[in-house]
Amino acid sequence: MADAQSRIRNFCVIAHVDHGKTTLSDRLIELTGTVALRQMREQLLDSMELEREHGVTIKARAVRMAWTARDGEIHELNLIDTPGHVDFNYEVSRSLAACEGALLLVDASQGIEAQTLANAYLAIEQGLEVIPVINKIDLPSIDLDVVREDLRTTLGFKDEEILLASGKTGQGVAELLHAIVERVPPPKGDPSAPLRALIFDSHYDAYKGVVAHVRVVDGLLSADDRILPMATQKPSEMLELGVFTPEPRPVARLAAGEVGYAATGLKAVADCRVGDTLTLESRPAESPLPGYRPAKPMVFAGFYPQRAEDYPALRDALEKLRLNDASLIYEAETSQALGFGFRCGFLGLFHLEIIQQRLEREYDMDLIATSPSVEYRVITQKGDEVAVDNPAMLPDPGTIEEIREPWMKTTLITPTNYVGPIMDLAQNKRGTLLEMTYVDPTRAMLKYDMPLSEVIVDFYDQLKSRSQGYASLDYEFGEYRAADLVRLDILVAGTLIDALSVIVHRDKAQHIGRLLVHKLRGLIPKQMFDVRIQAAIGGKIIASENVSAKRKDVIAKCYGGDITRKKKLLEKQKEGKKRMKMVGSVEIPQEAFLAVLRIKDEP
Amino acid sequence: MEALDVEIRREGLSLGRPRVATLYVGGGTPSLLEPDEVARLGAALRDAFDLRPVEATVEANPATLDRARLESWAALGITRLSLGAQSLSAAGLHALGRTHQPEDIAPAVAAARSVGFDVNLDLIFGWPGQTAAAWREDLAAAVALGPDHLSCYPLELALEPEEAVANWPGAGWRSVERWRRRAAASQPDDAGIAGLYELAERVLGQNGYRHYEIANWALPGKRCRHNLGYWRNGDWLGVGAGAHSHLAGVRSRDVGVLPAYIAAIDRGGERIVDSAADVAVDTAMLALRLDDGLDLVRYGSRFGQDAAARVRTALCSLDGTRLLHWSGERVRLTARGRLLANEVFVRLLPDDTSSVSTSVQ
Repeated sequence: MADAQSRIRNFCVIAHVDHGKTTLSDRLIELTGTVALRQMREQLLDSMELEREHGVTIKARAVRMAWTARDGEIHELNLIDTPGHVDFNYEVSRSLAACEGALLLVDASQGIEAQTLANAYLAIEQGLEVIPVINKIDLPSIDLDVVREDLRTTLGFKDEEILLASGKTGQGVAELLHAIVERVPPPKGDPSAPLRALIFDSHYDAYKGVVAHVRVVDGLLSADDRILPMATQKPSEMLELGVFTPEPRPVARLAAGEVGYAATGLKAVADCRVGDTLTLESRPAESPLPGYRPAKPMVFAGFYPQRAEDYPALRDALEKLRLNDASLIYEAETSQALGFGFRCGFLGLFHLEIIQQRLEREYDMDLIATSPSVEYRVITQKGDEVAVDNPAMLPDPGTIEEIREPWMKTTLITPTNYVGPIMDLAQNKRGTLLEMTYVDPTRAMLKYDMPLSEVIVDFYDQLKSRSQGYASLDYEFGEYRAADLVRLDILVAGTLIDALSVIVHRDKAQHIGRLLVHKLRGLIPKQMFDVRIQAAIGGKIIASENVSAKRKDVIAKCYGGDITRKKKLLEKQKEGKKRMKMVGSVEIPQEAFLAVLRIKDEP
Repeated sequence: MEALDVEIRREGLSLGRPRVATLYVGGGTPSLLEPDEVARLGAALRDAFDLRPVEATVEANPATLDRARLESWAALGITRLSLGAQSLSAAGLHALGRTHQPEDIAPAVAAARSVGFDVNLDLIFGWPGQTAAAWREDLAAAVALGPDHLSCYPLELALEPEEAVANWPGAGWRSVERWRRRAAASQPDDAGIAGLYELAERVLGQNGYRHYEIANWALPGKRCRHNLGYWRNGDWLGVGAGAHSHLAGVRSRDVGVLPAYIAAIDRGGERIVDSAADVAVDTAMLALRLDDGLDLVRYGSRFGQDAAARVRTALCSLDGTRLLHWSGERVRLTARGRLLANEVFVRLLPDDTSSVSTSVQ
């Protein structure tokens, strides 16, 4: 067995978004003959439609490959794919924990970016052998020396450690495979110890239940074993044990050091969570592998169906999505303005967008999503701490001693000529500059502490537009801090619209209030009466505008057959009314909610 | 003319040559017909129907009237001339793209009077650039001509293609649309048009005209009986391209494009049936257009108590909006309600979610 382990290499590819990870992974699979050329689908590892569209990997897959090393020995190489976005940091860390080595990919034309560093640090912290690779060397007008300098100064690599490759042409790829065999250490698990297998990913399959992607660390897993996830304690009879080649192929057993999948028959990924340890019910391990923590949502929003009758369909859709995504949480909530819906929690803004798009595309839902919110910690005068993720639920200001909000440690990397505008942006977002260093002579790295509530409103878009797309961002949770926050309410004809309430910094309340009121004025159609639109903080009006009453709405000419035609116009008008929400006596079109909720926090 | 002749005779026959109480010749410009054509129309009508109208109207363009034509209409039994004056000012007629002149109108009225016709004037307000003062002058000039009846319409520029445009001279829908978009951009806004409407109500009221329908005013005894038939949702037969009929609860129409109409008549005269018609809903909506309003007691005895209850519920949802005036079971639009009548009508439409089924005892 120990001999078998010595010919196993478990590795992953880590990179910033768009640095060519998927293309290179496909090339590795192709070159090892794992998939015949004609079977190659472009970008094999990204199997979800949305992933293709976003160009990022959401769900990791593991592929077993065979590679003949320079010494003639055939090795088993397991490529473990990692999610490529900042919101999925924890998932990345679990994928890394399943490996002994990592290829760190850097785009030859872009150099090191914020997530290159974040991922590289994660890999180094976990003691992985990191092989730096400059990718896309086929591109014209690239300067390899600058990228080498990036790798030297920021991560301390030596020039001779750095490999060159092109995922597109295949140049240098064989050299990478040799380097993996030669530099990445083999697994070192105890084959005779009780089973401990790390669940580094899972997905839901309609026929096989939750399929856990596992790396066996210690012991042996056989197809007829009864398994037990140690955190959730839900034992099950396996339906299938196998490896991805990359098509799933059943095997009789997975030994220490090996990577594969276990079809658990469990009904939801929440029962078999990423980061948990799988052991045997008959001979459980004493302690789980380190590092498990349940997914913790950071960003919250209310999702409401545009038509009230779609509520059950929305509930079913969320249920199905959650089967595959343990980090998505939701609970029913009611808004006076929007009716029945769900408050949902996400890992980050990007995660929120993916879920929203999947609901809209795969489940054909027409949604109204409220402004994203973070989880505030409210300290009451009695000394209690209350978590608030919905502005409408903020307690009476009179009872509040202090409001705390989450702050993020934020890393920005940008070409030096955009440093000015980006510092303005960060400052406008209440960021505190901690450090500014140079990655190379042309690019700076800025470290900020910044409130998450500012990061999730338009920060990424602004960052990209102010740097013409060149700046990159990474963030992780830092701490909760007290802040001077207020709830900004919107009133239409004297009625508070709960769905439009936002928690904002007091200094910005006036500006945002005016903006919201002005935008709404343009979106609320004239009614039979004047309609006053106001923004208020704790009952004090800070902005106000008026929609004057409708004066004329009549089909004046109606003879003979006109009624037939004119009724069609009225039917249309009625349809329009149906799509509106009645708030008090005012009809507010859905578009008004949608547009207001999309409002940007422009300075 | 040939197809019309055929249709009149065919319909008269199939209906059993009923009595015709009112007649209305309109749509397009029937005043362009030559006297011999009018005579042919009269012959067809008299052969097919018991033609003894208490009121018979012909629509006319002020520039196309002459003594011979008027006499031919009088011979057919016409009692009333509806004159498409639109405006009595050169600026108004220019803005509306009309070809006749303000000075055509008074002679046309005088000519109609000379053959004993009652006179209606159609006026349009809210044309591009029109001021309240200009509208006041138009109204004063119209009143000075002493018509029995006035129809005043706000200029409404439909921007969706209309079938009838195919029958018009000119470059077709595209050029009509271009003109309409330009005009719409420089029209007074809705509040301005509402002000002009209220001005008409005042001026015409002061001159003895009764505002008896949303867009119609008449001297005592001079309301248009034919149109009252429409608003009371009575039965009528329409003939000619695009003409609508309402017979025994069924709404139908002839195809609108002229060659297609002629072909349809040749094939035996099939009509397009409007399946969306809902007699109860239409009746309530139309009744509310009139100053008598809607009597829910009579409505209930005609359409059943459920239908009356539905209408009452719908109308009561507007309590507090000052659109409706109730006196007992009779409800009518207020002055404010006339300007916002669609808010009332929309509420009378049945909910398509709950299938409408009236129980018949």
